Amino acid sequence: MSLNRRTLLAGALSAAAAGSLAGCGGKDLDDLLTQAATVPRRPARLTWWVSEIPSRRGSVVADLIIRAFERRHPRIRVSKINALSTSDGNRSAIATQLAGGSPQPDVYLGDTTWPAQFGHSALALPVEKLLPSGFWDAYPAALRTSSTYRGTAYAVPFFTDSTYLFYRKDLLAKHGLRVPRSWEELLRTSRTVQQAGDVQAGFLWQAAVTESLTANVTEFLADAGATVLDGRGRAVLGGAEAERAFSLMAEFTARGVTPRTVATDEESDAQDAFVNGRGLFLRNWSYAWVNASTPGVSRVAGKIGAGPRPGFEGTGRSGVSCAGGWSNFVNPSSQELGAAMEFARFCAGDEVQRLLAREAGVIPAMTSVLGSPEAHAAGDPAVLRAADLRLVARPVQTPYYPQVSKALYTPANAVVRGSLSPADGVRAAREGLRTALEGKAL
Amino acid sequence: MSSALHKKTAGTPSQGEGGDARAGAPRKSPSAPPGSTARRRARAGWLFASPALLVIAAVTVFPVVFSLVLSFCEVRLEYGGLRFGSPTLAHYEALLTHPEWYRALAFTLGFTIVSVSVELVLGTLTALVLERLGAGRGWILALLLLPWALINVIAAQLWSYLFNGTYGAVSWLCEQVFDTQPDILGQPVSAMAAMVAVDVWKTTPFVAIVVLAGLMLIPGDVYEAAEIDGASAWTTFWKVTLPQLRPIVAIAVLFRILQAFGIFDLPFVLTQGGPGTATQSVAILGYRILFQNLDFGGGAAVAVTTAVIVLGCCLLFLRVFRAQVDEGGRA
Repeated sequence: MSLNRRTLLAGALSAAAAGSLAGCGGKDLDDLLTQAATVPRRPARLTWWVSEIPSRRGSVVADLIIRAFERRHPRIRVSKINALSTSDGNRSAIATQLAGGSPQPDVYLGDTTWPAQFGHSALALPVEKLLPSGFWDAYPAALRTSSTYRGTAYAVPFFTDSTYLFYRKDLLAKHGLRVPRSWEELLRTSRTVQQAGDVQAGFLWQAAVTESLTANVTEFLADAGATVLDGRGRAVLGGAEAERAFSLMAEFTARGVTPRTVATDEESDAQDAFVNGRGLFLRNWSYAWVNASTPGVSRVAGKIGAGPRPGFEGTGRSGVSCAGGWSNFVNPSSQELGAAMEFARFCAGDEVQRLLAREAGVIPAMTSVLGSPEAHAAGDPAVLRAADLRLVARPVQTPYYPQVSKALYTPANAVVRGSLSPADGVRAAREGLRTALEGKAL
Repeated sequence: MSSALHKKTAGTPSQGEGGDARAGAPRKSPSAPPGSTARRRARAGWLFASPALLVIAAVTVFPVVFSLVLSFCEVRLEYGGLRFGSPTLAHYEALLTHPEWYRALAFTLGFTIVSVSVELVLGTLTALVLERLGAGRGWILALLLLPWALINVIAAQLWSYLFNGTYGAVSWLCEQVFDTQPDILGQPVSAMAAMVAVDVWKTTPFVAIVVLAGLMLIPGDVYEAAEIDGASAWTTFWKVTLPQLRPIVAIAVLFRILQAFGIFDLPFVLTQGGPGTATQSVAILGYRILFQNLDFGGGAAVAVTTAVIVLGCCLLFLRVFRAQVDEGGRA
């Protein structure tokens, strides 16, 4: 037996090669879709990768959904795998697991920015043919857009999220001011209240170099009438509209309406400042309502209101809201594709959507549920006003979305910090987008 | 390894050859040639070590080789898992022609040089003070070790609260002193400085402990001789203490270079690599390429290039260090 370094190296290389082969793909998509089209009548077990769903009354929402599904499908048992609540952390964990061909989880909850990337990388089953005709009529068009890549849906709706302008109604009333309808009015209102010494910051938002800023940039650009990608997915960012949006972001910090620390703020930072009474306005996702209006958690509970984001003066449009949220994806390597698909459809259906309106601090994806008795009983303005919002999807119809997002947030962050002019910021973003869409960005 | 075992066996009287048979060792046939015994023992050694070797191969060698394979192959994701295509240098070409990789490398190198240098100076000073302490040294050592004992992510999160522009204590202090709200993590220079400061706070105790161990190993008569020769404290430090500390300092620096070059948690928690990409380390870049972009080949290429560079840095350091020791020895 002659074991030496050469033998060991050869062994390791063989093991690596064996591992490589073990991870090889090669399943036929038609076969997978055929399996997914039939709900099994035999006993089946599913695993659902799900992060914590915010709860209104302390119940574990995912467990309620699983019990409801098992009542309808007594032969199918579902167990839960607790996932991270952050989108990036979640993506890292699930992507590596799925890329290795793991059959578990059968169904996983993912961000609405994932479908194109996951569809392109064969990490999600195309579900378009497995949904009944007219299925998408029940959901917002922006959600269908973000769930679709090259004409095929890769995600089944679960809940959405939208952004709002939260405001201190007590301070506006004190100064006899109304909720601003334009960004220009918001700047004036903020300065008035700030100069009176009633609040430190006028407008709190998020400009850290993360996805948070991409959502904000998408909104400001849409407010101004600028487009990031055209219908064919080409970078068309530019023009006076885009510069107007970038100029506004720079103006917030230059005029002291937004503290300079916004360049490192994410949603939780801005929300913390607002609930501690440091800001007059806050742009944040719908969940901020529950946090900001809960006595004991928030110093401004009972003093706040929520409404649509403002638009730009002269455009004749109100502001838009970024379409966010989480959808269910089916693992193509699942051994129970039929049951998994049925579970994903069930979560998108009327029963679960009403359950979400009643129990969860999220916006149900089904449009009709937003005006349901359950939603009215919860009384959350973020849910009740969701149907009135003008939604804009992020430029997610590309498999290179993380690079596209980075191409937007990196120059935008520099503009907010004042180290890049708005015009240069737009130019840098456009160049970055082109590189990203060619798949050449890191 | 086999030859080493062979030499050791040949040089040491074995139980079978003349040793104590009462210990229960099998008596070796006197006619058996010594070489075959050594080979048999070597085989037995390999046999007993093989489970451990397999585990090491599974957790160390396999990932390294797998990363190499990934970085030199076209890798596609298909239904059912990864699909390996033809060999390619495209991942390295894309990396080595992209300015972002050079920026990340420059930040990582700068961070490593500055933080390790500061930690070395502060750690040595701390160790010199600790060595002269009598009672209470144990307590101070325990206190000093607290930052080192903290999990990196928790320490980074703690400092992110302190640096927070809205409610952070450091920001508040700066506001009181300079009458302006600082944006510590929002500007490239201050963000890098903050990151070095946190790393120095966390890792200086490690350097101090290692150097203190080295100081305690220096024999007292060396100092007595220096005193008799009339050397001042300053001269004694430079001519006696520091040369004696060189081997242990080299180990500390080597460890620190390896750790600092792989920095991930500090920038990930404190700045996410920002502002812009100012604090994006090569580890963060690799994470983004691999886990966010799902580019397995590109991510593996970052890992391999980083490993090669850090290995080169360590070898260079050791060579320079050895040359210095040799010079010192001749002197």
